[in-house]
Amino acid sequence: MNGQAIEFKRVNKWFGKLHVLRDIDLSIASGEVVVVCGPSGSGKSTLIRCVNVLERIQQGDIVVLGQSVTVPGLNLAKLRTRVGMVFQQFNLFAHMTVLQNIMLAPMRVKRVSRDEAERTARALLERVGIPHRADSYPANLSGGQQQRVAIARALAMQPDVMLFDEPTSALDPEMINEVLEVMTDLARDGMTMMCVTHEMGFARRVAHRVIFMDEGQVIEQSEPEAFFAAPKSDRTKQFLSKILSH
Amino acid sequence: MQYQFKWSVLWSGQSAGWLLQGLITTLELSALAWILAVCLGILAGALRTVTFAPLRAAAVFYVEFFRNVPLLVWMFFWYFGVPPLLPRVVQDWLFNHGAEFWAAVIALGVYTGARMSEVIRAGILSIPRTQFEASLAMGLTVGQAYRLIILPIALRLIVPPMTNESLNLLKNSSVALTISVAELTFQTRQVETYTAKAIEALTAGTLIYLVLCLGIATVMSRLERRFAIPGLIARVGAG
Repeated sequence: MNGQAIEFKRVNKWFGKLHVLRDIDLSIASGEVVVVCGPSGSGKSTLIRCVNVLERIQQGDIVVLGQSVTVPGLNLAKLRTRVGMVFQQFNLFAHMTVLQNIMLAPMRVKRVSRDEAERTARALLERVGIPHRADSYPANLSGGQQQRVAIARALAMQPDVMLFDEPTSALDPEMINEVLEVMTDLARDGMTMMCVTHEMGFARRVAHRVIFMDEGQVIEQSEPEAFFAAPKSDRTKQFLSKILSH
Repeated sequence: MQYQFKWSVLWSGQSAGWLLQGLITTLELSALAWILAVCLGILAGALRTVTFAPLRAAAVFYVEFFRNVPLLVWMFFWYFGVPPLLPRVVQDWLFNHGAEFWAAVIALGVYTGARMSEVIRAGILSIPRTQFEASLAMGLTVGQAYRLIILPIALRLIVPPMTNESLNLLKNSSVALTISVAELTFQTRQVETYTAKAIEALTAGTLIYLVLCLGIATVMSRLERRFAIPGLIARVGAG
C-alpha cells in the first residue's frame, strides 16, 4: 500500500475547557515509523488514541487508511481491525491464556477457524520470542513478556498500522530492550508505526521521523539525526536536555 | 417445664411428606427465581455502565424501583395486583397452573435481580477501563467486549457477594407463604398446626434451611476457586 496511512487535518480536541489538541496537521506515510515525544500532558497519548477513535475529535478530520473517522455511522470495529494498538499497561485479558488472548480477535472478529488462529498465534509467539509461554496466564509472565504478547495479539489481526502508546513506560529497565527489539524488527519489516515513547535511543535508530509535541501542538518534526543534533525550537531543546542529560 | 418432646411427629403421619413437598417447592421456587435474578442482574448491572444514557436510566429505574419496596409488598403486587390486569383467558389459565407459584418466582427474581445488579455493576467498575479499550482496539464490538471480556472477569470477582445474595434469595423464598405457596416454611407451619409440636416442627424447618444454605455456600466457594483468575488476587487461606 502506498501513500498516506494516517492524515490529521486541522484536528482540535477539548476535554471540557482544556484544549488538548490544537490545529494538528500531520501525515504519516505507509511504511513510515514515527516517534511522538513531548512532556507529560502535551497531548501525545490523546493524539494517538484519536487514530483508532478511543477518543473522539471535535474539529477537523483524521483519515486512517483512506477512511475518515468523522463520518457518521462509521463502522468503528472494522476500522480498528486494521489498526493494532499496544498500551502502556499491556491490557492482556487475565482470565485467558496467552494463546487465547492472541486467538480471540481473529476468531471472533475475522471468523478465522480455530486451527488457523492457533497456527498464527504460535507463529507470532515464536516471532516475539516466547513460544514456550503459550499456555501461561498473563499474571505469570514478566512485564516484558506480557508486552510482547500484547504486540503479538495486535499483530494477529494483520493490521496495516500499529499504534504504540508508551509501550515501555511501565516496564522495569531490564525488560525495556526485549520489547524495543520486537518493535525494531517490526519496523524493519516495513510496518507503519506511530509510537508515543521516551525511548530516544529507539527513536534515533529506528524512526524515520521524530515529532515533538507540547501543550497540544506539534512544535517540531524532523529526521532523527537533525532532531537530536540540531533541534530548532527552544522548547524542544529544553525537553531534550532534560531527558538526555542522564 | 411442662413441654413433652415428641420428635417422632416428624416422621409419623403426613409430616415427612409435607416437609419433603415443602423442600421441593422451596428448591424449585428458589432455582427459577435465581436464574431470573442473575439474568436481570447481569443485564441491569451491565447497562448501568454503558455510555448510552437512556439505557443507563432504564437500568437505574429498574434497580431503584424494585429494591426499595419490601419483598412482601412485591409478593402481593404480583399475585393480587397483576393478574386482574391480564385477559380473562390468561387469568383462568394462570389460576389453574399455580399462579401463586409463578407470582412468587417473579416477585423474588425481580427483587433479587435489582440487588444483584448492584453487585455486578461494582464488579464491572473494578475492572480498569483500559481493558475495555483494549477489547475495542482489537476490533470487538461493545457487546462482544462485555460478553467475552468484561462480564467473564467481573463475574469471577463477585462470587462472594453473589453468594450472599443467593443465600438471601433462598431464605426470602419463605415470604411466598403469604400468598399461599406451599414452600418449606408453609409446610413447617402445617406440621406444627396438625401435631401441636411447635419446637419439633420449627427445628426441622430450621435444620433444612441451614443445610440448604451451607450447601449453597460450599458450591459457591468451589466455583470461586475453580474459576479464580490466576494471579489476579491473592487468596489467603483458599486451598
